[in-house]
Amino acid sequence: MILAALVMVVQVAAQDPRLERLDPGTRSAVSAVVDSARGDGLPVEPLIQRALEGATKGAPGARIVAAVRRLTVDLGAARLALGTNASAAELEAGVAALRAGATPEILAHLRDLRRPPLTMALSVLADLVASGVPADSAAAAVLALAPHARDADLVEFRRAVERDIALGAPPGAATSIRVNAGAENVFSGTGTNPGTVPRPRRP
Amino acid sequence: MGIERVESSDAELVRRVRAGDIGAYGALVSRYRDRLGRYAVHMIGDHEDAEEALQDSFVRAYRSLARCYDPARFGAWLYGILVNRCRTTGARAARRHRMFVRDADALNGAAHGDQADRVEWTDAIERALARLAPEYREAFLLKHVEDLEYEAIAELTGAGVSALKMRVKRAREQLQLYLREAEHV
Amino acid sequence: MFERADDVVERVIQHLRRPVAIDPGLDARVLREIAQAPPTNRRGWPLWSALAAAAVLGAILIARPWSRDETNRSDLLQFVFVAPRAASVSLVGDFNDWDPARSPMQTAQGVWATAVRLAPGRYRYAFLVNGVDWRADPGAPSARDDEFGTPSSVVTVGGRGS
Repeated sequence: MILAALVMVVQVAAQDPRLERLDPGTRSAVSAVVDSARGDGLPVEPLIQRALEGATKGAPGARIVAAVRRLTVDLGAARLALGTNASAAELEAGVAALRAGATPEILAHLRDLRRPPLTMALSVLADLVASGVPADSAAAAVLALAPHARDADLVEFRRAVERDIALGAPPGAATSIRVNAGAENVFSGTGTNPGTVPRPRRP
Repeated sequence: MGIERVESSDAELVRRVRAGDIGAYGALVSRYRDRLGRYAVHMIGDHEDAEEALQDSFVRAYRSLARCYDPARFGAWLYGILVNRCRTTGARAARRHRMFVRDADALNGAAHGDQADRVEWTDAIERALARLAPEYREAFLLKHVEDLEYEAIAELTGAGVSALKMRVKRAREQLQLYLREAEHV
Repeated sequence: MFERADDVVERVIQHLRRPVAIDPGLDARVLREIAQAPPTNRRGWPLWSALAAAAVLGAILIARPWSRDETNRSDLLQFVFVAPRAASVSLVGDFNDWDPARSPMQTAQGVWATAVRLAPGRYRYAFLVNGVDWRADPGAPSARDDEFGTPSSVVTVGGRGS
């Protein structure tokens, strides 16, 4: 009896109070997924945020649970590729990269090329694909820049590519041209911002 | 940053800007960005220079909005500022990013055969436009691309109507000549 | 193939009349610039117009739809959204539990702004206009996995900026 009461207390304590915004059935299912992920050593905050996003957007419970489950699986895949030392932020960015079409091998290669954190590199890879860059071109670009570029350089690179695409350049070509420009800057020692727009915009 | 859809008239938006509503100016910028941008891109040639000229023109217009005496014709007044700004940009900039000047339609359109032909056609037009004297290019674009009346162009440029007609005529002849040359290269 | 001279020129005209892609971020840059330098106060411009512009300057001083102050390594990000007709705009995302009450945006003449301090990471977010209308941030990358049917954007705060 006492043991059962203790178990209940532990369960209640483990359930994130923010999940009370979910209906009871959804809350219960999401909590189970979250607990399982926690047991596996995965970060649970992204899972809770995805559930809360669904709740705020008025999504059906089943869709919320499915989204949280899918994210759990993908976080596991990202950890497998990036290693157990990867931070929660890196894993979440890794999920975005994987969903964009990067392979686990690309993530592992990136980990070997660039000292951590890899969050920005992974995120830029995902964002490039979201802009229409083929996944293999985006991955090749990020891998080419990864050893030398700063996070800020990667952001500038992404912006430059997105801008070229908006101006009508084919996404793959825009990416490779910007990579080459960036590489010239880095390796010639004439600049430290690979991939930046040649002439900065006015603020 | 997102721009909300606004359906107020130019005059109403100008009135609101003058009353201190900067957001209303955002609606005007959003309304005229693409059309004026097209003129600037074709006139200047270099996309980045064109966007800079466009941005500058919007800012100059805001700062001198008190001198927009007919708010219902804000668009025409704004055109005038941009035309002047494009002139001061000087000779067409070195085409640093020529391959990115093309618009998406130029690459994806179906009007002229396969993509290689379209790209070649786009390049030929750009080169031909670049070879025109600035005053010819200006008159041609305002008349035929922006579809303005000669009287309105005269107001914008300060040139007489007969001179403008002559510039447009010369521009047409030279474009035809340059494009014919391109076909035989 | 022979083509009449007028036909060639007409083809040129039709080509040049096609839309040209202009960076949508230009709107934000214009608004930032005018907010920083109000118009000259002449011909009946009310003085408080200039004051309003100054107020906007206070709201969007960081001057980017979202940006990170690289100089002092601060993770304070400024989010800006222009919605002249909106009655309310909230910033909602992974950083505030998707709670519209947590980050209501403040307006100055239709320019809505709020600042949020973020740790390194990748965050999904959106603007909620008038409590019902979900808008992505056109100035930021879009989130591809919109599993709940409304658009979202992504902002990434890096761990090593320089």
